[in-house]
Amino acid sequence: MKTTGSNGWRVGRVLPRIPRVSVRTLLLYAALAGGAFLCCWPFFWMLSTSLETFQEAMAPGLSIWPASWHWENYVEAWRSSPFPRYFLNTFLVAGTVAVAVTTSAALAGYALVFLRFPGRRLAFLVSLGAMMVPFEAVFIPNFVLIARLGWYNTFAALIIPWCANGFSIFLMRQAFLGIPSDYYEAARLDGCGPARFLFRVALPLVRPTLSVTAVFAFLGSYNALLWPLVVTADGSRRVVQVGLTVFTTESGVQLHLLMCAATIVMLPSVLLFLLAQRAVSETMLATGVKG
Amino acid sequence: MKRDTVSRARITWQGTDTPLAGLLLSPALLLLFVFTYFPMFVAVRMSLYGGRRGPGPWVGLDNYREALTSPDFWMALRVTAYYVGGVVPASLALGFVIAYGLHRVGPGRALLRTCFFIPYITSTVAAAMVWRALFNPRFGVANQVLARLGLPAQRWLLESRGVLHLLSGGWIPDDWGPSLALCCVILFDIWHLSGFMVVVFLAALQSMPRELEEAARLDGAGSLTLATRIVLPAVRPTLLFLAVAGVCKTLQSFNSIYALTQGSAVLPETQSLIYYVYAQFYEFGYWGYGSAVAVMLTALIIVLTALQFRALDAGRHAP
Amino acid sequence: MSRRVGVTLLGLVFLLAGAGCGSGHTLFAPVDDRAAVFWDRQDTQSAALMRELVETFNASSGLLPIRWEHAGGYAEIFRKVSAGIQAGLLPAMAVSYESMTSEYIAAGAAVPLERWIHDPVRGLSEKDLADFFPAALESNRYAAHGNRMYSFPLAKSVLVMYCNREVTRRAGVERSPDTWKAFLEACRAVRAVTGKPALAMVPDCSTFSGMVFSMGGDVYDGQRLLYDGPESMAILDLLEVMVREDLLFMASPGTFDDNIALVKGDAAFVLRSSSSRAYLLRVAGDQAAGLLDISPIPQKDPRHPATVLFGPNVTLFAVPEEQQAAAWSFVRWFTEPEQSARWAVATGYIPVRHSAMEHPLIREAWAQWPPNRVPYECMRYARPEPNVDGWQQVRVLVERALVEVMSGTRTARDAAEWLQREGTRALERAVRAEGRTAGT
Repeated sequence: MKTTGSNGWRVGRVLPRIPRVSVRTLLLYAALAGGAFLCCWPFFWMLSTSLETFQEAMAPGLSIWPASWHWENYVEAWRSSPFPRYFLNTFLVAGTVAVAVTTSAALAGYALVFLRFPGRRLAFLVSLGAMMVPFEAVFIPNFVLIARLGWYNTFAALIIPWCANGFSIFLMRQAFLGIPSDYYEAARLDGCGPARFLFRVALPLVRPTLSVTAVFAFLGSYNALLWPLVVTADGSRRVVQVGLTVFTTESGVQLHLLMCAATIVMLPSVLLFLLAQRAVSETMLATGVKG
Repeated sequence: MKRDTVSRARITWQGTDTPLAGLLLSPALLLLFVFTYFPMFVAVRMSLYGGRRGPGPWVGLDNYREALTSPDFWMALRVTAYYVGGVVPASLALGFVIAYGLHRVGPGRALLRTCFFIPYITSTVAAAMVWRALFNPRFGVANQVLARLGLPAQRWLLESRGVLHLLSGGWIPDDWGPSLALCCVILFDIWHLSGFMVVVFLAALQSMPRELEEAARLDGAGSLTLATRIVLPAVRPTLLFLAVAGVCKTLQSFNSIYALTQGSAVLPETQSLIYYVYAQFYEFGYWGYGSAVAVMLTALIIVLTALQFRALDAGRHAP
Repeated sequence: MSRRVGVTLLGLVFLLAGAGCGSGHTLFAPVDDRAAVFWDRQDTQSAALMRELVETFNASSGLLPIRWEHAGGYAEIFRKVSAGIQAGLLPAMAVSYESMTSEYIAAGAAVPLERWIHDPVRGLSEKDLADFFPAALESNRYAAHGNRMYSFPLAKSVLVMYCNREVTRRAGVERSPDTWKAFLEACRAVRAVTGKPALAMVPDCSTFSGMVFSMGGDVYDGQRLLYDGPESMAILDLLEVMVREDLLFMASPGTFDDNIALVKGDAAFVLRSSSSRAYLLRVAGDQAAGLLDISPIPQKDPRHPATVLFGPNVTLFAVPEEQQAAAWSFVRWFTEPEQSARWAVATGYIPVRHSAMEHPLIREAWAQWPPNRVPYECMRYARPEPNVDGWQQVRVLVERALVEVMSGTRTARDAAEWLQREGTRALERAVRAEGRTAGT
């Protein structure tokens, strides 16, 4: 039952859509499922290769059904590097980075959209500009800086340089721009201050993007290889990606073990992503303007 | 009733916002300054020196001059142009289409979304191995498919001749357009980047007020009109972000080329500018020159971003 | 207002950036004060043995303990050291190729080893020095830097030819071809029987250098490159002919498809380093001993053979005295016959001292599988590649030329001329840049 108020906004609850399983929807599902399967093909290949023997793994071909099932490969791969320590380090680092990036980006994005202050344009350009600086260009000077600060082989070196990045600020800014004007008109009429608006209204509205930002920040840190490799000196601070480099020799690759390790390393990010989706409620804006 | 959902930051709170803005912005800006801008300035300074493995003597703009007259540099620039032009529009389109499809279906969305995101999370090393196996000239599936169709086997990642040349049976000269090898890299990156696009687009689509679509549907809009006239404009801020982010990422994308060519990108037809920078820095040791090219690459990124903003940015700042 | 602020900030930072640039250290701070760190690349198989050796050494050395660290591949180690040079922070030693060491020397990070070699307490005696293969030691001299030794060989490898006996027997090729002419004939015979290419090869500069050496030629005579010379042309011509007759399968650079093809029987011959032996045997599995064979690469004149010597060395860095002492002692100990032999048998690398050949472990390996002996014999006449400044660029150019010839997109003559031209330019560029740096 829908009722429309005098200003055109819907008032009252929206009825959930009654599922109509039309041919169209089925086709859509089929197309999506097909696309998803193709996208995941390399991942399935990874899994199947990880279970094969050394010789079978080397055989060329893209089949995703394993030639044999050697679950003990995983044990061998796990043992080839101190993975528990690496995982601990990586989760610590990536988790901290995710929280820090999301916070800094959300606050910055909010300020860039909803506050008026001199130099706002400059601040936005500065954030944007940071996106355009290639890592390779600044890698060495960054390392020198870290060394001079005495942060070599510390968690600080792994975390702090990554606590803010232009992409996230930009993404949050765009997300805040997507909030319809009526929301803050209403809030303003209510006498709501900027801080309260941020925490009560704006942040909840952009929750999907917040979680996306957090996931990307986590992944960026999680998948980084070069910086951790250069900035850490020993296993006490190493991260999981480094553990993947031990399977390549000068004359060949231990493919089956490498795939085991790659799968082990990938699993947490996949799990994290699945979980993050639960944290995001789909029907954020369905209920209309708060009174 | 048309609804303007792209917000304008017209708001003014009581009092001045500057202290609060300063508070909110300082952590991010400080970090950016110390760890991005400062090193960039060091790099710019380095580009004015001509030595190897260290500053060396002052050469002023010599490095820039050398780059602009080097055929390898221009080749890298061309490769980069094809690379960005190939990857970004395609993955934007693909990303939007898939995200919209996911938005329309209800159940199973979480699982499907994860599936589409997996290319982005898969370690580049592992993913590149699969793609290399696909394109293996001797054993790969791609050539098997071609054989089935009665077409000659290709060298794929080692083919320096242009794809247009090959498709046209030799009519078009072989240095027009991207090489087949580069096309393989482009395909890989589209596959990889689309996952990123799907996730961000989907987040935006799900933040969109439901009423928008409902109202349009009530007004009798068909699916295509709905998608292009209503939904796409509504996610314009996100589209801008993804276009800009896509270009930035692609221009700086080093890992995929490195992994697909196993660290020996022998063919200059697959060396993008960032790879050229890497080679000059780490393989040959020309730090001043490498920095100069990196600075030019950054300038290119800035220019492209500015152009995209002009084209796509709808959110104007308040006076 | 904001514009002025922006400009001021910019200027300030630019000034500060000056402070963030440059090195110029005479001594580098060690990565770890209490251990001499060794950055190495080993895979899981040999890492265990290396750790064991390091422990044994530490137990009895009485010096700073050595700490062995897996630091990625060669490319990663190179970046780590390059970054460390800028930051003034280095390990005691790292594994490196000659071209990498050249760079370290130019940055003032590598120490000449003469003082340690001739050290009264820890050095090598005349007898010891004579025990080393001359080529192994000489490849670590850097002509551009006073001809001093800046790196030291731990173990070496040579270019050899692996054969799939089953395929060659089927084709009626009884013995491994010892001349390039015989080799071409053998390839043709194999192709006639199997219908597939006979040689699987990765376009690689070192392989090409070895082939040129075996033709009786060289790639660099101290003054100029020799890629337009008769020997280089001969090899390129051979490759061109093989491509035309479909006798050659080009494996993508950076991959190991040639090894796989050999084991699967899709190719009869492969030109690879002797260090690939362990990997090939593993891939071949149980029937490896009967299936595979190692022989010297074909020669122009088998009475005057030549091949290329490669394999990584260790560079010692300019860190405090006690770190260098520990590092040097470890290197010296490692190359002694006992350790050398153990390492060789486990990894397929070749010891750098003659006396190691007499070691029972090595003899046993030869007895177990006769082809094991071949790389050792090749050590007698193996030569290293040049380590001149800018060689790294030439390597990339050679690879590119090889890819083009092996895929039929360039003729041999064209490729040789192009390579000579571009290679010379690359070397000149390096000399120019080096000269500028040296001039400051």
